[in-house]
Amino acid sequence: MFANPIVSVEHISKTFRSAHGRSAHRALDDISLTLEKGEVLVIIGPSGSGKSTLLRTLNALESFDSGRIMVDGVSLADRSTDLNRLRAEIGMVFQNFNLFQHKTALENVVLPQIVVRKRSRSEALSRAQSLLEKVGIADRANHYSSQLSGGQQQRVAIARALAMDPKIMLFDEATSALDPEMVGGILDLMRGLAAEGMTMAVVTHEMGFAREVADRIIFMDAGRIVEEGTPGSFFTSPSHERTRAFLDQIL
Amino acid sequence: MLEHYWSVTTSLLPFLWKGFLETFYVSLVAIVVGSLIGALIGVVRSQRIPLLTGLFGLYIHVLRGTPFLVQLYVFYFVLPNTGISWLSWDSRTAAFVALSVYTSSYVAEIIKAAIEAVPRGQSEAATALGMNRIQRLWYVVFPQALKLTVPPMSSVYVMIIKSTAILSVVGISELTRQGEVSILRYPRDILFIYGLIAFIYFLYCYPVLRFARWAERRVGMARTVDLD
Repeated sequence: MFANPIVSVEHISKTFRSAHGRSAHRALDDISLTLEKGEVLVIIGPSGSGKSTLLRTLNALESFDSGRIMVDGVSLADRSTDLNRLRAEIGMVFQNFNLFQHKTALENVVLPQIVVRKRSRSEALSRAQSLLEKVGIADRANHYSSQLSGGQQQRVAIARALAMDPKIMLFDEATSALDPEMVGGILDLMRGLAAEGMTMAVVTHEMGFAREVADRIIFMDAGRIVEEGTPGSFFTSPSHERTRAFLDQIL
Repeated sequence: MLEHYWSVTTSLLPFLWKGFLETFYVSLVAIVVGSLIGALIGVVRSQRIPLLTGLFGLYIHVLRGTPFLVQLYVFYFVLPNTGISWLSWDSRTAAFVALSVYTSSYVAEIIKAAIEAVPRGQSEAATALGMNRIQRLWYVVFPQALKLTVPPMSSVYVMIIKSTAILSVVGISELTRQGEVSILRYPRDILFIYGLIAFIYFLYCYPVLRFARWAERRVGMARTVDLD
């Protein structure tokens, strides 16, 4: 069904060490996966399983100790790779939104277009306005993040990421910090993006979303991929005991 | 009685005014030069650049951990006698350099602390959008850090203005020195003259503090509005 991986992760491992090396924690343990163009990959697992760390290695926010990651044809560990240029092609949405606090919603979407994409201010403004409309927050364009609810901030953050015309979108527990009634709206936006054919890697605890939107699900525990499958097989007949225990806990 | 103080005041005012101008001038130079050097050092210190970060750390700790008077003596007595030609400066230069260097150590720590106080997620979001280190600092971190520097910076500036009085011991004709000379002329009015000098310092420092409060409120405006 897919033949064109835009991301391939080959046997990466990562160990966090404390300042003086007294303790070490293996966050990623021999992880391999691929992400095809247009595919929606959902990564689930208990907290501390390494799923966020894995996601953050994909745009090199997090380094890794061994293995290889290829994104859009270039190797992340390669010294000659311009990571900043690569990151512009990969949108990321954070759990805590991370809107620029000194900028309005509109300026949050405008700034990176001008700085990174070198667009003119008028072009960036019109793009920003249409994206804020798309995420349903155009009426709050001139508000600062402190004046917006969590759900509204996350909409702006999604618009900001989309303004860079990313080839891939990463979602790092994008709904975990939201009030329950805000979650649905953000998931709808993500669903819409998936339907438009956006390539997405999503770390989430929203099993309903995973079941409905994911092309493939990965279950992680203790830094390893325990199980991988389509939503159908994953939820109805998980093959590992650890997966079953996890699903029993949360479903 | 009142007449006497009036005549002392009017006769000394031109003389004290000259002293105030020197105080104003040396404090302004120290604040401008010290802030520029301090800002540079503070930015480097916040970035963990090998070698430089440690070196500047030493600079700051030595300057903050020793009395300004001792530093002034080093710049005034010791350095000009090292035989290095460009260090054989006159007393006025020594005083200006000493105060600027002293200022830079305080400014550097304020800048570093302000940069580090900007939440990590801000810089992380900028990174994820593809900004390089310079762009992250310039467009995202500095504007937010700037707000945080206003209150501590104004207290450092006022401290520096007051520290200029110490320069009187190396013969700089600033306000305190001019006051001491005046006391030689009117020895019985020592209390009045010191009071007059204190009042002039206050007239200089108070607007700085008021300005800082105003600036703090202005730059803080966007953040204090909260609808939640």
